[in-house]
Amino acid sequence: MTWVTWRQHRTQAMACLALLAALAVYAIIEGTSMRTAFSNDNLAGCLARSQGTGCPAAVSDFTGAFGSAVNIAFWSVCLIIPGLIGVLVGGSLVARELEYGTWRLAWSQTVPRTRWLGVKLALVTGGLIAVGAAMTAVITWYRAPMDRVVGHLYQNVYDYEGLVLTAYILCAFGFAVLAGLLIRRSIPAMIAAFIPWLAIRLVIEFVFRDHFMAPLTTTTGTCVQNSPQVHCGTGIGVVPPDTGHIGDLVLSMNGNLVTYQPASRFWPFQFIEAGIFVALTAAALGATIWLLHRRAAWTA
Amino acid sequence: MTQDAYGSVPALRTDRLGRRYGKVWGLRDCTLEVPAGAVAAVVGPNGAGKTTLLEMIIGLLEPTEGRVDVFGQTSRADTARSLGRVGYVAQDHPLYRDFTVADMFHLGRAMNPSWDQNLADARMDALSIPVNRKIRRLSGGQQAQVSLTMALAKRAPLLVLDEPVSSLDPVARLDFMRDVMAIAADQALTFLISSHVVAELERYCDWLIILSAGHVQLAGPADELLAAHQLLTVPRATPDADLPGTVIQRTDSDRHSTVLVRAGADQFAGYGRPSWQADPVSFEQLIMAYLQRRPSPRSYDNPAPAAERPGTPAKEVTR
Repeated sequence: MTWVTWRQHRTQAMACLALLAALAVYAIIEGTSMRTAFSNDNLAGCLARSQGTGCPAAVSDFTGAFGSAVNIAFWSVCLIIPGLIGVLVGGSLVARELEYGTWRLAWSQTVPRTRWLGVKLALVTGGLIAVGAAMTAVITWYRAPMDRVVGHLYQNVYDYEGLVLTAYILCAFGFAVLAGLLIRRSIPAMIAAFIPWLAIRLVIEFVFRDHFMAPLTTTTGTCVQNSPQVHCGTGIGVVPPDTGHIGDLVLSMNGNLVTYQPASRFWPFQFIEAGIFVALTAAALGATIWLLHRRAAWTA
Repeated sequence: MTQDAYGSVPALRTDRLGRRYGKVWGLRDCTLEVPAGAVAAVVGPNGAGKTTLLEMIIGLLEPTEGRVDVFGQTSRADTARSLGRVGYVAQDHPLYRDFTVADMFHLGRAMNPSWDQNLADARMDALSIPVNRKIRRLSGGQQAQVSLTMALAKRAPLLVLDEPVSSLDPVARLDFMRDVMAIAADQALTFLISSHVVAELERYCDWLIILSAGHVQLAGPADELLAAHQLLTVPRATPDADLPGTVIQRTDSDRHSTVLVRAGADQFAGYGRPSWQADPVSFEQLIMAYLQRRPSPRSYDNPAPAAERPGTPAKEVTR
């Protein structure tokens, strides 16, 4: 069964490797120049001494030079990539057999269909975890200097580091496998899986993520309205943020009252969010296994 | 263990086997037996329940009621033990089109503990099918042969072929069936072959199962079934009640009626009238007569009165 799974998914595996290779090339080029600038500007020392307050020009030069490439537009498009990987691999896994009638071949060999599915799911899930982990590692490596300046708690960084990237891929995969069994056609299954995946992904990011744990407040805010010298604002566009600590994510400000999530919550948040997506994956794959097992009682 | 007339365990035995889809029965009350070594044809129109029957025998589909025994052991759907006892060539012989023939065999080897690679390779050699060619580059006949080879190399004692030749051209059809015959004779395997192509079956099959509207209409050894039916030509006025045995089909023309009756030759001898003529029935006539009968499984012997259509010079009344 290992060979069968490999033979049927090797094209997808190669495509994932190609994607990883392209990402690695980009990361090496971009990451190398970022590292060079980071050490030339002596940012490490400044950050350690003063959280960046002592060298505002160097910080803004650095974020100005590399922020756009690493930030909003590019990574917003990339938001859909884990979903695409997941649905492209999962959408065909069962649906293709039903679409082309090869299920009669696959399920009439001396391997019960639940075992057939179980082995395939285990191996392909393993492959996707490897792909997700490798992508995460590459992105985390090349972003490292930027993360030291702005932290990694805000959306376009948080989504690609830690555990969540892999969890997003798995969730889209699980949805697509289930949709494939129900819809019996690959392309419609991919679409039917992608839409709820994207909806859940966006709702969690923009509605729930900031409240995974109750935000902290501090009154050490440096924001004084109408004062051009001082940074004022939420998000991560400010170094250091108004809490005075690099990596804190400021949610809102009211006078000098700052509501924020501290940088130390990166990993707890990653575990919470990845946990949600892995639970959704497990539910979808569990339902698929159960439905396929019961299928012999409903139809062949 | 049930034994058949020859003293060995039947290759296949179904007992009041039934399958319901929602509220509709796809197959019901199907009891039949096929002895080991037979080449049995399952004949019936589309929708008669052939595929339903075959899928339950293979273990792809769970019966709603009744049971299937393969070589004396009751099958349980979707278990390795049941799946391993039956080789299956599905309708349109599905294969992975981007696989090579060798890949397909690799799959067969990976998924069947009793896989016979030598058999698979030898058959491809004999048929001159290159094993490194992709499935999609093979002709329909070659794809059918690869499918059959996969089923054979599984080394299962019972082979189930669902409409194996319906998508093939006449030459490929002939080649394929000739191969099946040779294998059946050579290797003492039991074949169950479904078909809605009635012609040619006579040459291949020694056991016949006629299905229609989800019920078994007739089942048994082909030669015995043929011997048990007579084609009578009688004066048109002759009522059914005067005829021997059971009237299966009656075709009235101007002066004569052609009647297919189920009655042994001895039974007929007692009835013989000088004006009657009795002929043996052909395989095809027999099958067509049963398939054209109104599917009312419980009332074979009480046919409804024939509807008259005045003004038609020659009419057919089919029951």
